[in-house]
Amino acid sequence: MNNIIEVKKLTKEYKTLKAIDNLSFEVHDGEILGLLGPNGSGKSTTINCILSLLNYEGKIKIFGSDMSPDAYDIKKRIGVIFQDVAVFDELSVYDNIDYFCGLYIKDKDVRHEYINDAIKLVGLEDFTKFYPKQLSGGLLRRLNIACGIAHKPKLIFLDEPTVAVDPQSRNNILDGIKKLRDNGATIVYTTHYMEEVEILCDRVIILDAGHVIAEGTIDELKSLAKIEEKISVEVNDLNEKYIEQIKKIKNVEDVSYDNNVLLITYKKGKNNLVDLIEYLKNEKIVYSKIFSERPTLNDVFLELTGKGLRD
Amino acid sequence: MIVFKTYLRVVKKCLVPIIIYTAMLILFSSINTSNNDTTMSFTAEKPDILIINKDNSKLSKHLVDYITKNSNIIDIENNEEKIQDAIFYRDVNYVIYIPENYGNDFLENKEPEIEIKSTGDYQASLASILLERYLTSSKSYLRNNITEEELILEIDKTLENKAEVELTSTLDTTSLTKANNYYNFSNYCLLGGSIYVICLILSSFQSENIRKRTIISSMEDKKYNLYLLISNSVFALILWLLYVVISFITVGSIMFTMHGFLYIINSFIFSLCSLTIAFLIGNLMNNKEAINGIINVVALGSSFLCGSFVPAEFLPDAVLKVAHILPSYWFINSNNLISTIEVFDTSSLKPFITNSIVLLAFSALFIIVSIIIARNKRKIG
Repeated sequence: MNNIIEVKKLTKEYKTLKAIDNLSFEVHDGEILGLLGPNGSGKSTTINCILSLLNYEGKIKIFGSDMSPDAYDIKKRIGVIFQDVAVFDELSVYDNIDYFCGLYIKDKDVRHEYINDAIKLVGLEDFTKFYPKQLSGGLLRRLNIACGIAHKPKLIFLDEPTVAVDPQSRNNILDGIKKLRDNGATIVYTTHYMEEVEILCDRVIILDAGHVIAEGTIDELKSLAKIEEKISVEVNDLNEKYIEQIKKIKNVEDVSYDNNVLLITYKKGKNNLVDLIEYLKNEKIVYSKIFSERPTLNDVFLELTGKGLRD
Repeated sequence: MIVFKTYLRVVKKCLVPIIIYTAMLILFSSINTSNNDTTMSFTAEKPDILIINKDNSKLSKHLVDYITKNSNIIDIENNEEKIQDAIFYRDVNYVIYIPENYGNDFLENKEPEIEIKSTGDYQASLASILLERYLTSSKSYLRNNITEEELILEIDKTLENKAEVELTSTLDTTSLTKANNYYNFSNYCLLGGSIYVICLILSSFQSENIRKRTIISSMEDKKYNLYLLISNSVFALILWLLYVVISFITVGSIMFTMHGFLYIINSFIFSLCSLTIAFLIGNLMNNKEAINGIINVVALGSSFLCGSFVPAEFLPDAVLKVAHILPSYWFINSNNLISTIEVFDTSSLKPFITNSIVLLAFSALFIIVSIIIARNKRKIG
């Protein structure tokens, strides 16, 4: 598989803090790689190092060549959407995209075509003459994305592009990112929203305190979790003897009962839900709701680090 | 090209402050035009004098006539309290008390004493000179057996001799004063206008997020900074040209002379310096809200300290010494020099050339520091 980015032994130290410690990973051609981790785990610092915005120790290759501040041949194939919106307040939506696209594309006609493609991709067709202050938070984020991808880069970094975005804009943004991948771009996507990673990413690297703690596809990562299934049941005043009996049911790993919610985790196995319902029926235990869930990336992260992704 | 194009788009948003600065300049120069009629003539001022004459001689009356011709005689009741009040409130500058029998005593060489009271100011000095002149003349002609009439005749002959004061300068000082005031005031407008617009634009172009996006783009860093510098230069050039054109309209024909040419050259060099100051501040600051404060400190402060609003001769020496470290001082100093040049030769132009070199040296210093700061900002951590 062709590697677009190769990061080897990347270390970034601030005065007393080691933000990234000996980090190594690759990004494959045409994939969406998710960099997942809680705030302060080193996601943005990793991207800033890859883009040569920060001094660092280690080796970074992009498109097979060493990355440096003067590697303009590499830079012209990269697009970046930072977490903070980076647009001119004094320029309209169209002029903002025109400026950032113009840093890469000189030809006016080509640029015009690219700008319109970008506007269409993020769904800002009705707002081209608006100024940033006239846009909602979600629309502003879409403009931010359009400014970063208008020049049709081969490699795109998206650093938490959906923070504080309304659901409609979030869906629009996620759809746009999928389209970019379908058009042949390789995408590095950082977030702490695990549901976005599950929807979007082909592969995920989970970071914590500047280290890679797990890496793989969503299924590979989920297989790292000891549990296979979680079933929660809303039931009132459950007797302790029933909890002890449930623990003895096949495949049950753990049982807890708190705030009238019975939570049962299973190691593996099939028909766990059927078996449980059967037991509840036989014992004439009245329940109001019952849910079955597969383990999430948060469960994986919880097991690997002992804390949640949003802690 | 896209940087320049975007620069112009952002400048459009700064038109209001540019118009305000230009309006201030036009207003100031218009006020100057109506108030500053400096003609090349000399007129002696007349002091306000009160004469208390207790003598009825011809000589004392002649003295009163002479003083009356050359001063404004104030009529106040002969009451010591009222006279003291008049002196205190400057209603009168000088009081002359001619004693009884003054004429006879003088002719008999008894040296009668004329008592005076004075406010002690320059108008009182003028009155004192008048009285001294009369008394000196009269004493010089006093001899034995001279009659009162003969003495008065001799005094008249002497006092009729008047000195004509003629100023030989060929300078059109009225126009030069207007031009000088205009270009001195332009110090504030050029500096304030440049700092406002360039800082506002740089604060947009150099804001951390946009800077990051630009750094990771394929546009070379040197090229980008060069485009920004060229764009800023074009703006400064246009602002300078606008103010020069306005000077032709408000100041008039003097601008077509060598004096006008030197004012234009001097303001061009100062525009260059203002540009580099604005570029340096723009590179140092990150906050758009701070621009007005910076203008007050830099443009308004240096205009006050260096004599843009108040002529330099009225400023204390200590202030002028401090002002030497500011480019505005050299610009305004050159303007003041230009207004006094009568013959354009090497020696008269030498101070102007020296000031211009100092301004260019300031510009070079500011641009070097700006480049160093811009280079250091290239990395974010």
